[in-house]
Amino acid sequence: MTRAEGDKDEFSRFVTGLGRGVAGALLLALPMLMTMEMWYLGFYMARERLFLLLLLNIPLLILLAHRIGFEKTFSWREATRDAAIAYGIGIVTSLVVLTALGLLRGGMPASELVGKVALQSVPASIGAMLGRSQLGHDEGDADTKETSYPGELLLMAAGALFLSLNIAPTDEMMVLAYKMTTWHALVVAVLSIALMHGFVYAVSFTGGHELSPQTPWWHAFVRFTLPGYVIALAISIFALWIFERLGDSSPVEIMLSVIVLGFPAALGAAAARLIL
Amino acid sequence: MTRSEQGRHRERHDPHWIEWLTGLVSALLIAGMLGWVGWEAFTREAMPPDLSVTILATQKAKAGYRITFDIANSATTTAAAVTVIGRLMDGDKIIEENHVIFDYVAAESKSTGALLFETDPAGRQVDIRAAGYTDP
Repeated sequence: MTRAEGDKDEFSRFVTGLGRGVAGALLLALPMLMTMEMWYLGFYMARERLFLLLLLNIPLLILLAHRIGFEKTFSWREATRDAAIAYGIGIVTSLVVLTALGLLRGGMPASELVGKVALQSVPASIGAMLGRSQLGHDEGDADTKETSYPGELLLMAAGALFLSLNIAPTDEMMVLAYKMTTWHALVVAVLSIALMHGFVYAVSFTGGHELSPQTPWWHAFVRFTLPGYVIALAISIFALWIFERLGDSSPVEIMLSVIVLGFPAALGAAAARLIL
Repeated sequence: MTRSEQGRHRERHDPHWIEWLTGLVSALLIAGMLGWVGWEAFTREAMPPDLSVTILATQKAKAGYRITFDIANSATTTAAAVTVIGRLMDGDKIIEENHVIFDYVAAESKSTGALLFETDPAGRQVDIRAAGYTDP
């Protein structure tokens, strides 16, 4: 193969990667792009919280890129480049979709326009990053890789964050917490933990985890599932705080909404361990 | 540490002590949370929403006057669609009446809001009260 052909090949692979990124951003962020609360949050949420969310998205994307990547990334430099591309795709996709849906108009103040696009770019960029890994299968993924314990916990955090971002801004979250009694909350908490463990260990999905025959089941439960649930709850608190859902509520009410959001967050954390 | 091979992951049998420590701390946190919520479940009686309004400040706005207030719900049940009515009165005569609706006032929580009046409330009686709610 000549050098020019090689370059062309690389270029077309890169364009395919971009296409998959856009597809992933659309698939995973469309529910949020079409959620009313997300448009409102774009203009009323506190700017320092939005800024914090936008900043935190950067290390998250780099971590995801290092793990799955647009291209096979070996170094952190390449991971950073891929994270920047994913963020870019997220911003452009949000801008195009929000404009197409008539949510961005000329008469709006700049802070509203920027706020709406910036908020949506976070889930869209995560979607772009995941799109690459889930929609593409050109390289054999059968290689052996090891995930360190903190890496495993970070993956769970990423999964929990993605699902929380989907659900935390909606009013349904708070309504559920208001309607529930503390008994319901207890059931939801126990159910979250059980499903989390079941998803990863009991049900044989591809990507599921298994234990050596001589390891008792509660080893993985204590080492992975329980810390995973604590992470899911912590991410829920963070998401509720970012979207200003906590307000002046009493500790018990806050706990209830955290447990409600912890349910999808726990499933997201479990799914991340299966998928990534 | 987890080893991934052909899409399957296998947890190592000889984990680092930090994994056990993390697991233990998490178990304590979860037990604490469940214990707290469980304790609340046993001790908290369901009371109908109990709403009270406290006036915080009266400010001059661009057009008219703004009275900010907070509304507290001291009961263990959340009230929805809480209507707050504010009246400016001169003796027995109502000069101005306005209302505002709160989507929710959560159990044992506070919400803040404001009523806008055209007339200067200074020197007049201000009466702000919750007029009704629905169950969420």
